[in-house]
Amino acid sequence: MIILIGLLVTLLGFVISVLSLTLASSVGGRLVLVLLGIAVSLFGIMGLLNKHYLKNAIWKKG
Amino acid sequence: MTTTKRLLLVLTVVLCIAPLGFPQTPAAPAAAPPAVAPAPTPKPITDADLANAPVPAADARAKGDPDGSLTGTAGDVTVTDAKKGITIGDLANQVGQNKIAINFVWTLVTGFLVMFMQAGFAIVETGLCRAKNANHTMMMNFMVYGVGMLAYWLIGFAIQMGGVGAVANLGGTPPLSAEYAITLFGKSFGLWGQNGLFLVHKGTYDVGVMVLFLFQMVFMDTALTIVTGAAAERWKYAAFVVSSFLMGAFTYPLFANWAWGGGWLANLGVNFGLGKGYSDFAGSGVVHAVGGVTALALSMMLGPRIGKYTREGKSNAILAHDIVIVLTGCFILAFGWFGFNPGSTLGASGNGGFRIGSIAVNTMLAGMAGSFGAMLYMWLRYGKPDASMSGNGLLAGLVAITAPSGFVNPVGSVIIGVIAGVLVCISVEFVDRVLKVDDPVGAISVHGTNGLWGVISVGLFADGKSNYGGSWNGVTGSVTGLFYGDNGGQLVAQLIGVVTLLGFVFSLSFVFNLLIDWFVGQRVSAKSELQGLDLPEMGALGYPEFELKTPS
Repeated sequence: MIILIGLLVTLLGFVISVLSLTLASSVGGRLVLVLLGIAVSLFGIMGLLNKHYLKNAIWKKG
Repeated sequence: MTTTKRLLLVLTVVLCIAPLGFPQTPAAPAAAPPAVAPAPTPKPITDADLANAPVPAADARAKGDPDGSLTGTAGDVTVTDAKKGITIGDLANQVGQNKIAINFVWTLVTGFLVMFMQAGFAIVETGLCRAKNANHTMMMNFMVYGVGMLAYWLIGFAIQMGGVGAVANLGGTPPLSAEYAITLFGKSFGLWGQNGLFLVHKGTYDVGVMVLFLFQMVFMDTALTIVTGAAAERWKYAAFVVSSFLMGAFTYPLFANWAWGGGWLANLGVNFGLGKGYSDFAGSGVVHAVGGVTALALSMMLGPRIGKYTREGKSNAILAHDIVIVLTGCFILAFGWFGFNPGSTLGASGNGGFRIGSIAVNTMLAGMAGSFGAMLYMWLRYGKPDASMSGNGLLAGLVAITAPSGFVNPVGSVIIGVIAGVLVCISVEFVDRVLKVDDPVGAISVHGTNGLWGVISVGLFADGKSNYGGSWNGVTGSVTGLFYGDNGGQLVAQLIGVVTLLGFVFSLSFVFNLLIDWFVGQRVSAKSELQGLDLPEMGALGYPEFELKTPS
């Protein structure tokens, strides 16, 4: 389940950035939305997916 | 801080700041040339003039031509009608053929150089792994070439380039003309190409298409071989074969289409006024970041090697078994990069062809600046100039300059390279200690982190003087970054490329590899891993005469 959520959040960052093309018309507005998209994608990768795999990491099993 | 460290610190700062003291001001206008008499109007050449062009006599040619003065004359121009002799039409055809021939040879030879980079990757990765996995690591690097090529020939090339349209430097490639697109926000979004399956589909059995295929194929294989390094020493060989096939068939070609094949990223400039659209000259994003984010997805899934982390999560260094071949491999890669970047002009004659010199120099400068930056960083931080990180610094500089190599000047190249060299060291530490993702060769940092940095750097350092025939991605003018007067639109286009790599390409790679994990299994058994993968996976040791120790 966490994997699915992580994937969806990672994809959401991409979607936000693509939507910036229509949600904002100024360069500054698009820049903010694209940076937000990058942050969301990174959260999905590092904060959710990687964290999930670390929970069951081989080195924790002794 | 010791005196040596202080001196190194000062030297680093001076080297980083020095280039900023040389702003790129326009050259002063040259003094007006002295007045001369107007040249007479040239007389048009006629067929009669050509018929009288001197051709060496047959008996003179029969005696040989030691100084070359009798070879390559009007007599060598192909004529359409022997009775009429050479005509203006024959001459024009010969000029056109020469231009395309030059470009074919250039693109093929640089493609051969890129193919040789596979050897560099193979020995860099194998050298950085332990001897007990040498055969397995070499075989992955060896077979990724064939597996990836088959996938790309079957479908990947069609997806990537099937709708690219005219590649003027290679004679037009007219059969590659079908791009599947959807309409979004009132604009056309090209998603994938449709012509070129098996290289015979829809007229793609074509000389120009063949040259383009060879060059693009070796690029695709470079992306695939990045993944084998990050997953080394624990990846099941069968899973590697399936994963590489899927990447060569779908993941890589899809993003490559969006950036290079006429897809939506390239058209961000035309459709949304974002600079010249996503601009990635030779593939920091298309090749290296695609490989890097796929490597990250797979490494997370595989988990670290046994012994890499203590029970408390402290990272253990697992040493390279042969630093000699690692650095030799880095040199091979640096050599091959002279094909990778300058070859991406797809020609030495025609629009932008003469940029090959500056692209080659930019490549050289950024690579060495990267190794220098990494060496100094490690020296200052750990007291010794680390060999493997210096090698990774060289590769990081080369990866970072790959996207901007065609758009920046030498000062920009050095700055991009130095930053890449430092960035790779910081990124390796971050991936290793914070993310706790095991990457035996540093592929995620070298290719992923610095691939993304290279993409971003275009939006900052492109100097607006590249002028490839007056436009790029269909937008008039040269690619220009924020530091050279752009309004930030180019940077936004580049950042959309970055988030596409992180959000879309990562996710697609993750899903493919998750499916492989379910159906094939990604990771070898603990017993095989401890023994070394050479015997359990490959059936033969890489170094059969060595007595290998296994951890107790």
